[in-house]
Amino acid sequence: MDDQGCPRCKTTKYRNPSLKLMVNVCGHTLCESCVEMLFVRGSGNCVQCDTPLRKCNFRVQLFEDPAIDKEVEIRKKVLKIYNKREFDFPSLREYNDYLETVEEIVFNLTNNLEVERTRQIMEQYQRENRDVIQRNKVKLTREQEELEELLLLEQKSTEERRLELLEEEKRQLHAKRKNKQALLDELESSQLPACVLLAQHKDRAVQLEQQIEKQKQAVKTTIFSTGIPMGQTVSLQPVPEIREVLYHHQPLYIYTHGPPVPELDQLQRLGYLNHVRAASQQDMAGGYNSGLACHRAVQDAFSGLFP
Amino acid sequence: MFHNSSQKKFWQFDGEAALEKQRYEANQKFRSKIMASGKPVSDSLFLDPHEEMVIFRHYEKRLIDFCSIFKPTMPKSVVGTAVMYFRRFYLNNSLMEHHPRIIMLTCSYLSCKVDEFNVSSTQFVGNLQETPAGQEKVLEQILEYELLLIQQLNFHLVIHTPYRPMEGLLIDLKTRYPMLENPEVLRKTADDFLNRATVTDVGLLASPSQIALTAVLNSASRAGLSMESYLTECMGLKDDKETMSKLMDTMRRMKHLTKKYELPKPEEVVMCKQKLERVYAEFSSSNLSL
Repeated sequence: MDDQGCPRCKTTKYRNPSLKLMVNVCGHTLCESCVEMLFVRGSGNCVQCDTPLRKCNFRVQLFEDPAIDKEVEIRKKVLKIYNKREFDFPSLREYNDYLETVEEIVFNLTNNLEVERTRQIMEQYQRENRDVIQRNKVKLTREQEELEELLLLEQKSTEERRLELLEEEKRQLHAKRKNKQALLDELESSQLPACVLLAQHKDRAVQLEQQIEKQKQAVKTTIFSTGIPMGQTVSLQPVPEIREVLYHHQPLYIYTHGPPVPELDQLQRLGYLNHVRAASQQDMAGGYNSGLACHRAVQDAFSGLFP
Repeated sequence: MFHNSSQKKFWQFDGEAALEKQRYEANQKFRSKIMASGKPVSDSLFLDPHEEMVIFRHYEKRLIDFCSIFKPTMPKSVVGTAVMYFRRFYLNNSLMEHHPRIIMLTCSYLSCKVDEFNVSSTQFVGNLQETPAGQEKVLEQILEYELLLIQQLNFHLVIHTPYRPMEGLLIDLKTRYPMLENPEVLRKTADDFLNRATVTDVGLLASPSQIALTAVLNSASRAGLSMESYLTECMGLKDDKETMSKLMDTMRRMKHLTKKYELPKPEEVVMCKQKLERVYAEFSSSNLSL
């Protein structure tokens, strides 16, 4: 699978085939254990090119040539900024020019040519086209989501079809077996001569086969593969509005089985509080006032009075 | 409040007949349980409902005496709650199954807790006239029976006693009924009426506000004052003849019940108690500690 070993511990790669190679931004590889050892403090220098690296920048290698991995990483980063699409450009020629600039940038960065200038160009472009970049980013995520949904649907439908087929096969098998069993039972118990019974059975078997054939043909296609049902016309009417009943607040009414009780704030005015022990300063500090006790007593006196 | 309490929903009965039926059924249940256990028993060994009532009233009186000598002073609502628990418990259970002495103490212990009258358990048993060791034992028994009591009350622990409605009625009288010059004169007699009503079945038959109103009207009629117009004017019953007549009827029944209550005679009590002890000696396996 891999003809090169880890540049540092060389032998370890052959001994442990499950060991992975990690690539960093400079394009040089290191096996997992070497990465752990060298970058135990989080950052260090590359073994071959001595560029300062960070441990978190190491990614598992996907391609045999580490340079390809490096280019793939750079391309991803560049395309995040240069994310215009074909229809953003008025003509094909301009789109191709745009693509060529992108390729040049990627090439320069991969082979470490004119890195500074390239980066400046990128920054300038980013500043100029900030809102376009944003818009395209949003579009991209939406498309990705839709794709994922379609994939999921497809998967589900194939699974369902598979299950249906299994069911159908089982049913057919079952029917055939029943038929055979029925024949045996008849041979055992019926009075008719054996050849007549055999002829009957053969008839029935043939009928069953014909039925199965018809069923297979009867499955007509009703929808296109994209999901649009056949023969449907697209309606351009607006979606009907669904209106629900508005909620109306009804105040709570509790039936007390007795005469009505005056409200708490009316007690003073109606003169109830004159007949209750007044609250002392200590009581009022806690929030108590004589109206509370009075109201409670009157409520209790009236609750449940009427049978 | 009373109108949506469990007391109104589950513990209000239509008449004395219903109550007697429940007590009779509890008695029968105990008898059939003992019969089913296979021991040879004679029917005369069991207590009949009248004897049960004698013992019940005797222990009820003892409960009230216990609460009155309780230190610190027990508020009236706690006493009322305890008596109501006692009454409700023996509505669905026979006296022969659980001895009233322990149930009575458990009732008052529970009502102290429920009514937020804070006494520690040691303080509670300290009020019993016994040696500290004896008090410990009693405390253990109380704790054993507590859960059973709560269960037999069907976990309905809030009791509405008529004392606060009576206060409310007096306040209302003073505010809205100037024809009565000094309602305070009614307080003492009304209190007395309520105390007498607590030991009867009125708590299970009428709502506490009705009992309080009966008490107030009764003491007013005793003092010779007429309060008819209070009901018609202030309570708004002038046009509602039906409710008025029903209310008067209920009050009359309560008054009658309270009047006809009497404490059982001591000899009768002694006799019934002996019978009860015999029943316990024969049948109960769980009351060995008594």
